[in-house]
Amino acid sequence: MSRLVKKTPSLCTDLPLDNSDICNKLHLLRQLLRSCFGPTARLKQVHNNIGGHVVTTSTSSVLLPAISSSQPFINLIKTSILNHVSRFSDCGLFAAILCLSLIEQAKQSGLRGNVAIGMNKHLLGLCTNYLQREDCGCKVKLDFCSSQNLITLARSVISSKPACVLTEPEALHISKLAVQAFLLTVPCNSQGIVSLGKIVTVSVEGHAVLNSAVFPGLLVDMHDVFCLNKVDHLHSSPLLSMVLFSVSLAGDLSELGDGVIEVHPGVDIDSQILDQLLELGKQVVRDEVKLFVCQQVIHPVLQQYLRSHGIIVIERLGITLMEPLTQLTGAQPVATMHTTIPAKAYGKVRDLSIRQFGSKTMLHLHPPVESAICSMILCHRNETMLSELKVVCQKTEHVLRLTLREPSALLGGGCSEAHLAAYVRHKSMNEITEAVPALGCSQTEYLLGVEGFCRSLESVAAALEHDGGNALMDLTHAHYWTHRPDVMTENMEESLGFCGCGLVESSPNQKWTYLNTKYPEFSPAALSRDVAVQPHVLDSFTAKLNALQVAVETANLALEVRYLIQDLN
Amino acid sequence: MLPVEHLPLDHVLQTVSVLESVVLRSFGPEGGQVLFTRDTGQAMLSRSGTRILTALRLEHPLARMVVECVLKHSTVTGDGSKTFIILLSSLLQIIHTMTCKELNVSHNYNSREAAKASTARHFAEKMLAFALEELDDLIASGVIPYGYHLSWEDFTAKTHLPAHPNNHFVQKLLASFFHSRLGRTHCDFISDLTCELLTCWKFKAQPPSSSLQFLNDNLAALHTPVSGFPISCSRLIDGQVIHRDFATPCPRTEHQPVKAVVFTEYLQPKLLSAGQVLELGCGEQGWRDNSRKKRSIVQFSAWSEKSLECVIANLQSLGVSVLLSAVKQSAAVLALAAQAEMCVVECVSEDELSLFAQLSGATPVSDCWVIELEHVATLTFCRPILLGAHRYVHVGFHDSEDRVTVKPCSLVICGSGEGQTDQYTCAFRDAIRMLLSTWEPMGMTATPASKRTLQSNNSTSLHMDNQITNAPPSQQCVLESGCVIPAGGTFEFLLNHALLQHGSSRSVSDYTIMSAPAVSQLLAKALLSVPRQIYSHSPLGFLQAQTRLLTFIKNHSHRFNQVYKQEHNTIIIQGRGGRECPLEEAKLTKHCCGEADASSNFFMSDSGLESVSCKYQLLLAVLQCLSCVLHVDTVLHTHTALPQSRRLANLSWEGTEDETED
Repeated sequence: MSRLVKKTPSLCTDLPLDNSDICNKLHLLRQLLRSCFGPTARLKQVHNNIGGHVVTTSTSSVLLPAISSSQPFINLIKTSILNHVSRFSDCGLFAAILCLSLIEQAKQSGLRGNVAIGMNKHLLGLCTNYLQREDCGCKVKLDFCSSQNLITLARSVISSKPACVLTEPEALHISKLAVQAFLLTVPCNSQGIVSLGKIVTVSVEGHAVLNSAVFPGLLVDMHDVFCLNKVDHLHSSPLLSMVLFSVSLAGDLSELGDGVIEVHPGVDIDSQILDQLLELGKQVVRDEVKLFVCQQVIHPVLQQYLRSHGIIVIERLGITLMEPLTQLTGAQPVATMHTTIPAKAYGKVRDLSIRQFGSKTMLHLHPPVESAICSMILCHRNETMLSELKVVCQKTEHVLRLTLREPSALLGGGCSEAHLAAYVRHKSMNEITEAVPALGCSQTEYLLGVEGFCRSLESVAAALEHDGGNALMDLTHAHYWTHRPDVMTENMEESLGFCGCGLVESSPNQKWTYLNTKYPEFSPAALSRDVAVQPHVLDSFTAKLNALQVAVETANLALEVRYLIQDLN
Repeated sequence: MLPVEHLPLDHVLQTVSVLESVVLRSFGPEGGQVLFTRDTGQAMLSRSGTRILTALRLEHPLARMVVECVLKHSTVTGDGSKTFIILLSSLLQIIHTMTCKELNVSHNYNSREAAKASTARHFAEKMLAFALEELDDLIASGVIPYGYHLSWEDFTAKTHLPAHPNNHFVQKLLASFFHSRLGRTHCDFISDLTCELLTCWKFKAQPPSSSLQFLNDNLAALHTPVSGFPISCSRLIDGQVIHRDFATPCPRTEHQPVKAVVFTEYLQPKLLSAGQVLELGCGEQGWRDNSRKKRSIVQFSAWSEKSLECVIANLQSLGVSVLLSAVKQSAAVLALAAQAEMCVVECVSEDELSLFAQLSGATPVSDCWVIELEHVATLTFCRPILLGAHRYVHVGFHDSEDRVTVKPCSLVICGSGEGQTDQYTCAFRDAIRMLLSTWEPMGMTATPASKRTLQSNNSTSLHMDNQITNAPPSQQCVLESGCVIPAGGTFEFLLNHALLQHGSSRSVSDYTIMSAPAVSQLLAKALLSVPRQIYSHSPLGFLQAQTRLLTFIKNHSHRFNQVYKQEHNTIIIQGRGGRECPLEEAKLTKHCCGEADASSNFFMSDSGLESVSCKYQLLLAVLQCLSCVLHVDTVLHTHTALPQSRRLANLSWEGTEDETED
C-alpha cells in the first residue's frame, strides 16, 4: 500500500474566460503559432533546461508537445490539436490558429456563451456541407492517372515546413521521392481488402539532399562486413532461400518458469544447448538456405558455423523490420529449436546486393515477386534538418495515403480559407430569416456570430504572411493574394501576380479588398476548369476538413467552460 | 486535548452554499462546462456534478460527507447530483431562517446555539419521516397524472414506425439528460445514438431492464474511445471490437465462417512451475518428485515444444483459425500458430472475453489438452479494424436463436481529446443507469409473473405498440416503471403545488411549527429553488412558467382526475391482465392539451423529459443527507499515526457522528 498522503484542496477559478491573465496567455499562444504557419514561417528553437538537443522546427507536432503550461486551457487546446495531428498528420497549425481566433472573436463580440457556440456550430455545418458538395469552388478532384497533382500535394506539405531548409529543386526532388515511395506501397494486383505496404526510412547524415533515393525492397543494416565478398557470388542463382528467427539464438532458455534448477557437477548445460543450436544450423545448411536472419542475438559459434558454409547471417534485426521482412520474403518467423523447420517457413529473396551510403553499409534484399515494401534513403546536411525532414516525409506519406479514401484536395496558399469565408458570409446572409428563429438568437447576435466566424477564417489565411505584406482577397473568386509592401508599382495587378494557390492571375478588371475589412458580401464564383492551369499549392482535403471540425469543436468547448478546478497534488 | 471544532448551523449552511456556487456554473440550460486538471496534469472537461465535486478535493469533513452522499446517490441513478446540492442548500437555508425566527431572545448565546441546532435537527427528522411516509402518495396523485409513460416499444419502434407520436419519449428523455450533461450542441446526436444502441441490444423474450442491465454491465467492453475526431464521427459498428491487435500477421483469406477459441492459460506448458525442482545431469536426470529417468535440459524443452505442437495440431483438426488469449503467449506459440495459419490475439481483457463468450456461446478453454467442439466459437468475420491510432480486432457473430432481435454492436465514441471521449463515455454510462432506475424504481422488485403474462399477451394482443411492460399497479401504483414528466421544473412546480394543497387540507386541525403541514410547506418552498436556478438567466421566465403551470392545473385538474379515475377503472376491469395502458393515458393528456388554450403548450413544448422515479429517489436522498448533516455537532481532528489496517478503515469512513481525520 502506498503511503497515505493528505490531498491538498484544488485551486478554483470562476469564469476563466473573463480572466485577463488567461486571455493574455491564449493571445500569446496564438501569436506564437501564427508565426510558425506556412512556407515563410519563422522557425522556433526548442531546448530544455538540462542541455539536451536543440530542436529547430515550425511543425505543430514537434512544437506543441514542447509548450508546457500550467494553464489547463492551453493544455485542453494543445491535446485536441495534437490528437488531430496524430490522426491526420497535417493542418495542425491551421486548426490551432482557427480555434484560438474563434475564442478571441467570440470574446470580442460579447456574445453570450451559448449563442456563440450555437452560431459556430451552425456555420461549421454550412462549411462542411459546402466542402462536400461536388461544385465546391475550392476543391480539386485528384487524378491518379497523372502524378502531377500528387506531387503538388506532397510539395505543399514539404515546403510548408521551412525547418527542413530545402532549396526549390531539393523540395521537388523529395516530393517526387515521396510520391514514388507512396505509389510503390500500393499493391498492384490484390483482390478484396487492399492492405498498403510499408516505407522503411533510413536516414543518412552529412550527404546532399539530392542523394536521397527510393528502392523497392528492403535495406538491412550489416553489422559486420566479413561476408561482403560472398555476396557477389550469389547473384547468379535464381531465387535465394532464407530463414527468419524470432527468438534469441544465443543459447538462453526463456520459457523455463519459476522452478528451481539443480545442476549436477560436471554437467555443461551451455554446451548441450549449443549442440542443439548447431543441429539447427545443420538443417539450415542441408536445406540450402543462403540468408539467415534473427530478430535477436545469435550465438557466435553458430554464426561462425553458418558463415563457414557460405550463409549470410544478419542478427539483431529488431521488431520493426520483422513484419516488412515477412511480407517481402514470405518467410514465417520460426521460434522453435527442437522441431525441424517446415519447408513453408522458408522465404525467398530474388537478389542481394550491397549498397553504401556514407558510413552505412546496407544489404539490399530484392523482393522475389512484386511487393509493397520499399525503402527510402533520406540524406541531409545535419542532424536537426534531417530529423525535421524525416518527420515531414512521414507526414507526406500519411497525407498521400489519405487521398486514397477521398481523392480530392483543397486549394492551398490561403485561397480555401478566404473562399470559404466569402461563401459563409454570402450563404448566411441569404438564410438569415430562416436561421435566426431556428438558432433562438436575435438578428444582431446572428450577424455578430457570422462576422466573428468569417474573420477567424480570414485571419488564418492572413497568418500565411510574415513579411509585413498586406493580405488581400479578390472580389470575384475570393482567392487570397499578398501584396508586398516593398514593391511599389502604379498598378496593383502588376505587383500581385498570382493568387495564393496559383490558379488565378491578376488582371486589370479585378477588384480586391483587404482581408478583415468590411466588404459587400458576394457569391464567390467557381473557376472555369482549365486543364492547362494547375494549382501550385494543394492541401489535404480530409485533413483540413477534420481540422476545421476539431478547431470549431474545441473552441466551443473552451467557450463553454464556466469554472476551473486545478488539482494541485 | 484534541482540537475541537463545533459545527453551528451557520457553518454547515456556509459550506453547502460554497458547494452550490461551484455546481451552479454548470447547472441548467445556460450552464457551461467545468474544466479541471487531474493530479496527473491532464485537462478534463465535465458538466457532471459528481466529477466536479470529487475534483474539488475538499478538506472540510462536512463537505466531504455531503460529497460522499451525492456520489452514493448518483452511482445508483446516474443523475441528479447538481440538483442534490441545490436542494440541500435551499433546505438548509430555509431551516436556518426558521430556527432564527423561532428563538426566544431570553436565551444566552450558548443555549441559543444549542436550541437552534436541536430545532434544526427536529425539522430534518420530521421532513425525512414525512417524505418516507407520504411523498410517494403525493407524487402519485399530484405529479404522475401529468406525466407520460415510456413503453419498451418506444426504444425500438423508432426505426419501424417513424410516424408514431410516442416514439420520441425515450429520445426526449435522453436528449434532456445529455443536454444537462454535455451541453446543447450535441445532445440530439448522442441521444439518437443511444436509442440506436438500445434498439440493437433489445432482448426479445426478456424485460427491458435486463437489456439495460446488460448494457450497464458490459459498457466497458462495448465501447471504444477514439480521440482526434469530431464527435459527429461517433457511430455503432456491428459485432464486437476486441481492444487488442493481432500478435501474428492478420488473416489474409476471407474464410467463411471463422472459427475461434478462447484461452485463459498458457498454451505452452511451463517447464517448471513454482516449487518444483529440476535436477540436471549428463543425460540421466529427471523430475525429483516423480522419479523418471534423468534427462538433459534440451530434452525438457523439446518435450515442451512437442506438447505445444500437439495442441496446435488438435486446433487445426477442429478448423480453428483465431486464438484469443487472456495472457501473453510465448514466441513459440506465435510462430507455430502462424505456420498453422492461425492468428493469435493476446492479453485480451477479462471483460471482453466474458462478453465474447456470452455472445458466441462458446466456453473458454481452461485445459488446453481438452478442446472440444463446445469451445469453438463460430464467427461471421474476424478482421483488423483501425480506430484512431490503434488497430483492433473486429469480430462478427452469427444470429443465434435466443437473440433473434439482438444485433450485437459496439459503440465508437469520438472526441477531440481523451478528456472529451471520457466525458461522453461517462454520460453514456449514466444515461443507461438513469433509464434503468426509471424502469425499475426503488423498492420495486422485478415481478416475473407479470412478465410472463406480458409475453403471452404480446402474441395475442391487437395493440402491440400500446402495451407496456409493467409491474401490476396494485402493489405500488406510485412508482410505475417508466414514468416521465416534462423537464424544466415541471416536477418541482407540480410537487410544490401538491405539497401546499396537502398542507392546507390539514392545517385546520393543528398548526404548530413542527406539524406535518408546516413541514410539507417547507419542503414545497425548498423545491422551488430548482426551477428558480433553471430560469436564473430570466427571473421573469420563472414566474411565467409557474403561473402557466398553475393555471393549467386549475383549468384541467377536474379533467385530469377524471382521466386518472378512468384509468384506474380500466385497471380494475382488466385487473387480471395485470397491466395498464399508460400510453392511452398519455394520449388523453395530449388530447386535453389540444383543447386547452395556448398556455397548455407547456406540456407540448420540446423542453424534454425527465424521470419521476429519479426525482423521487433524489428527494429522499437529499433529506437523508440533510438529517445526517444536521446530526453532526462537533468535528474532532485527531493526529494519530495510524497503523495500516486502521488507515484503510479510516479511508472508507461514512457519515458518522464524529469524523476523524489524519
